[in-house]
Amino acid sequence: MSGSKPDILWAPHHVDRFVVCDSELSLYHIDSAVSSELKAGSLRLSEETTATLLSINSDTPYMKCVAWYPKYDPECLLAVGQANGRVVLTSLGQDHNSKCKDLIGKEFVPKHARQCNTLAWNPLDSNWLAAGLDKHRADFSVLIWDISSKYAPETAVATEKVRLSAGDVEAGLVVTKPLYELGQNDACLSLCWLPRDQKLLLAGMHRNLAIFDLRNTSQKIFVNTKAVQGVTVDPYFHDRVASFYEGQVAIWDLRKFEKPVLTLTEQPKPLTKVAWCPTRTGLLATLTRDSNIIRLYDMQHTPTPIGDETEPTIIERSVQPCENYIASFAWHPTSQNRMVVVTPNRTMSDFTVFERISLAWSPVTSLMWACGRHLYECTEEGKASSLEKDIATKMRLRALSRYGLDTEQVWRNHLLAGNEDPQLKSLWYTLHFMKQYTEDMDQKLTGNKGPLVYTGIKSIVKSSLGTTESLRHSRSGSDRQADIIQYLSEERSLALQLCGWIKKGTDLDVEPFLNSLEQEGDWERAAAVALFNLDIRRAIQILNKGASSGKGDLNLNVVAMALSGYTDEKNSLWREMCSTLRLQLNNPYLCAMFAFLTSESGSYDGVLNNVAVRDRVAFACKFLNDAQLNRFIEKLTNEMKEAGNLEGILLTGLTKDGVDLMESYVDRTGDVQTASYCMLQGSPSDVLKDERVQYWIENYRNLLDAWRFWHKRAEFDIHRSKLDPSSKPLAQVFVSCNFCGKSISYSCSAIPHQGRGFSQYGVSGSPTKSKVTSCPGCRKPLPRCGSKSDEKVDLSKDKKLAQFNNWFTWCHNCRHGGHAGHMLSWFRDHTECPVSACSCKCMQLDTTGNLVPAETVQA
Amino acid sequence: MFVARSIAADHRDLIHDVSFDFHGRRMATCSSDQSVKVWDKSENGDWHCTASWKTHSGSVWRVTWAHPEFGQVLASCSFDRTAAVWEEIVGESNDKLRGQSHWVKRTTLVDSRTSVTDVKFAPKHMGLMLATCSADGVVRIYEAPDVMNLSQWSLQHEISCKLSCSCISWNPSSSRAHSPMIAVGSDDNSPNILAKVQIYEYNENTRKYAKAEALMTVSDPVHDIAFAPNLGRSFHILAVATKDVRIFTLKPLRKELTSSGGLTKFEIHIVAQFDNHNSQVWRVSWNITGTVLASSGDDGCVRLWKANYMDNWKCTGILKGNGSPVNGSSQQGIFNASLGSANTSLQNSLNGSSASR
Repeated sequence: MSGSKPDILWAPHHVDRFVVCDSELSLYHIDSAVSSELKAGSLRLSEETTATLLSINSDTPYMKCVAWYPKYDPECLLAVGQANGRVVLTSLGQDHNSKCKDLIGKEFVPKHARQCNTLAWNPLDSNWLAAGLDKHRADFSVLIWDISSKYAPETAVATEKVRLSAGDVEAGLVVTKPLYELGQNDACLSLCWLPRDQKLLLAGMHRNLAIFDLRNTSQKIFVNTKAVQGVTVDPYFHDRVASFYEGQVAIWDLRKFEKPVLTLTEQPKPLTKVAWCPTRTGLLATLTRDSNIIRLYDMQHTPTPIGDETEPTIIERSVQPCENYIASFAWHPTSQNRMVVVTPNRTMSDFTVFERISLAWSPVTSLMWACGRHLYECTEEGKASSLEKDIATKMRLRALSRYGLDTEQVWRNHLLAGNEDPQLKSLWYTLHFMKQYTEDMDQKLTGNKGPLVYTGIKSIVKSSLGTTESLRHSRSGSDRQADIIQYLSEERSLALQLCGWIKKGTDLDVEPFLNSLEQEGDWERAAAVALFNLDIRRAIQILNKGASSGKGDLNLNVVAMALSGYTDEKNSLWREMCSTLRLQLNNPYLCAMFAFLTSESGSYDGVLNNVAVRDRVAFACKFLNDAQLNRFIEKLTNEMKEAGNLEGILLTGLTKDGVDLMESYVDRTGDVQTASYCMLQGSPSDVLKDERVQYWIENYRNLLDAWRFWHKRAEFDIHRSKLDPSSKPLAQVFVSCNFCGKSISYSCSAIPHQGRGFSQYGVSGSPTKSKVTSCPGCRKPLPRCGSKSDEKVDLSKDKKLAQFNNWFTWCHNCRHGGHAGHMLSWFRDHTECPVSACSCKCMQLDTTGNLVPAETVQA
Repeated sequence: MFVARSIAADHRDLIHDVSFDFHGRRMATCSSDQSVKVWDKSENGDWHCTASWKTHSGSVWRVTWAHPEFGQVLASCSFDRTAAVWEEIVGESNDKLRGQSHWVKRTTLVDSRTSVTDVKFAPKHMGLMLATCSADGVVRIYEAPDVMNLSQWSLQHEISCKLSCSCISWNPSSSRAHSPMIAVGSDDNSPNILAKVQIYEYNENTRKYAKAEALMTVSDPVHDIAFAPNLGRSFHILAVATKDVRIFTLKPLRKELTSSGGLTKFEIHIVAQFDNHNSQVWRVSWNITGTVLASSGDDGCVRLWKANYMDNWKCTGILKGNGSPVNGSSQQGIFNASLGSANTSLQNSLNGSSASR
């Protein structure tokens, strides 16, 4: 600490105070202040802390080094080493108690004046203060003073060698006789007391490190080295010492003091400070000159005295507490990894070195991380809006609400999904309509159109080529001029059905659809559909209804008015205005209505934008000719595939195109749940053999496993096996007689193909109620329940009536078993198998069995 | 909104790794105190330490769970140059009463001559396989041919990466269209050697792992690397923790387009790159669907990243390492990506690196 360069010291016991010393001593008090405004006179150290200047002490000029009194009381007592070798006790406390008063102002004066390099209080006997001085001929360079000594100097010495003021001498404030004198004919650069014993002092001398033993001052242990500056003992490992020289830090083990155990990578600039972290094991901070970086060395494990097997490992890190060069830093004595740094121009900042955090996500969305020695679990709490929810959370919730499993009212699945995603809504309606019409066709036995339904409108329309008849209609419903061509064919009407515009059958009545839209309050859409069915009156009626309904939009009346002014005239003002003004309408359906009314027959580009895909397709099926329709569908399909838009499933159906579309949906969202359930709709088809579909299904099952939704997975597997019989697992367990080896399940079953009668958890035996107690093959008795020996294991319970308690269960390890209920109650009190002489710990072996299905916990 | 709570970990030194089992009901932690702890989640959601034992004679860097299909199996790796495989055994009844379980060492893998920096079990469909990487730049892949006998592991592959390895990640995809693949990150400090992330793929023809890709744009030391759960996507997502957070997508080009050599060619895009940590990024971790990435950095913060429907990745949450919200704002602040950047510039950390491991 030379001249203007400030140093910094934390109070050893008053953890909110520190001293900055350059030419004077300034005591600061540190406050936490989260608020942005600063109190008058305080300095901001970090975003949470400010410092207030409490007092300044400029009584002691020529300061070279400062050391804080290590005991709690008196507080703010400091020893200052001066350029002339004197050590002065001074205080920064405002209120002086009596004990302190005696000490303050006391001076310890060496025989020959030379610079005092270092000071060290003995941590145990706090009356002892060691001072390290420069060399002066053959004089001693390490002096240990007793601050309690009242010893007044001989006047001769005082007047001759050191100029003392008479007053001081009289007051007994000057001490010239040290307790110990060490290090003759040498210089001392750094000092520290060894915590091992209060009488051991480690000193960095001119060319060596020396350990002085005050019990026997003639003896010292020393090792020759250049690294003699800044000796400091690891507070957690008392045999480990760091010292430095130029840019190099040496780590010593006092038990094998011959050479450093480790030297750290040399820095290009000379070091100015090296300090062990007082709150963390083996963390050393170093600072070099003209640098804004503090280097941290994390010594990863305690060095062993013997066995060089493991060289110490070091994780090196650098932190940059501030933009400017750092003059000095000081670790906070108790706050973990916290330090205050000071720059040459005395700006300070409070800074915490963060431990490196390792983290992991759990399968249920909680995040665990480890920071230092602590663990933190972070969970999503509170109701996040559906937009913020991650797909992982969504899929979990949907799985719990049995999403995808409503095979009767297929459209309801979008409600189970939370009724929040228009794409899912469209998808499940599409699948619902597809299912409905497949069933219709099956009933009517119209033959070959059935499988066609699930192939989507694209293939339906393709197959309709050439069968189309055209009808001319007038837009206004009047019979003045037939300027609209409508196209009809069986396939087109099927497509309209799939779009949901018309119900089953061939009558083209949209009225039920309009009514349902009206009920949902979807007035604009209803009006547009009515108009596209060339019923302008109905459209106006709908709009009026909409305007007058409870939360209706009054503007709808205005739209109705505009509609009623429709004219066929090509060059009318109405037409002109509608063409331009429609672009300003916000609602896409209103926009499309006017686009339709103002467009030329056969070119409906303006109509076919922005509205829902199903309405676009339905419109196209009505008004585009075969060539146009094909082009349009082709283009739209590709767009949907590109975007992974589920509305496009209407076009692609469950075909390879559909899988392509779903692939880009999964790529975009990760929603394998929807993908799996969607592909498992309808009839068994080739798409299920697609590798990608199999892969989605596998991934979804894996998710259910990870979430412990075992019942959900079972439901899913059952659902899947209905459509994909190849996915049925093969029989894993057979029950055979112990004596003759014949299958029992086969013989007692009434149904011939009951080979896979025993699944993992239960018995699905024959429906006969008669108890079979002996093997039908060899008539020897069947095994008995291991727990209740009086009851026989009844293998032929009715499938429907068999409660879980009556299920046959057994240990995979020892193969003993019995009724599930009996087994569970046995293992409530026992750990070993109920069969005597079997010491198998059946229940504990089953680690997954101990995991409760998550559905029951969280439902 | 994310809320963090503290758990008394009771490790005597730094915790280096946290790892969940397949179901998220069990957790393992490892530390510089040379021990591994296993934690079980109780019904009310609290974590209880059910086992704690000394595993190595050096800092334990990483711990990882095998799929429960193979039993309750852990692997750990350490500075002491070894990796070890541990199995929970059904103990005496008094163990159970004390709520403690017993873990035994099934094998020690001693092939490395230097610190073993990472260990990961291969995806379940590949069988019981284990990869380790070490500071001398070798990735080793072991296999237990008999899943019932965990004491026998044979060294199947040794991949020399030429650079000090710090982390590995298996591609979790179980699709038959994707060959087994492993990504390796290096913490090598020298700036002139490029490509600190290398990707190796198993070649059916040669039955060897060969370098399929090297991410040339990653030239700074890499501290962690993680493939996202594939979840049926047609491409792979790889997160890299280096001086910033980076997210890459690797789209396999169709086999027929690639040369007959057998190695898959990838179309690699960097989809996100964030320097919000303002310092070295230490760890990255994906959630179960690969849709949210968590990262931790030397700024002492944990950040969450999520892509919107346009595939734009954004920061959706920040928490400090001690669980408190950044900037003392308790409600909205933690979702605001821009907060925290002003103050963290003061808390910059540079050039974190590990030397002489």
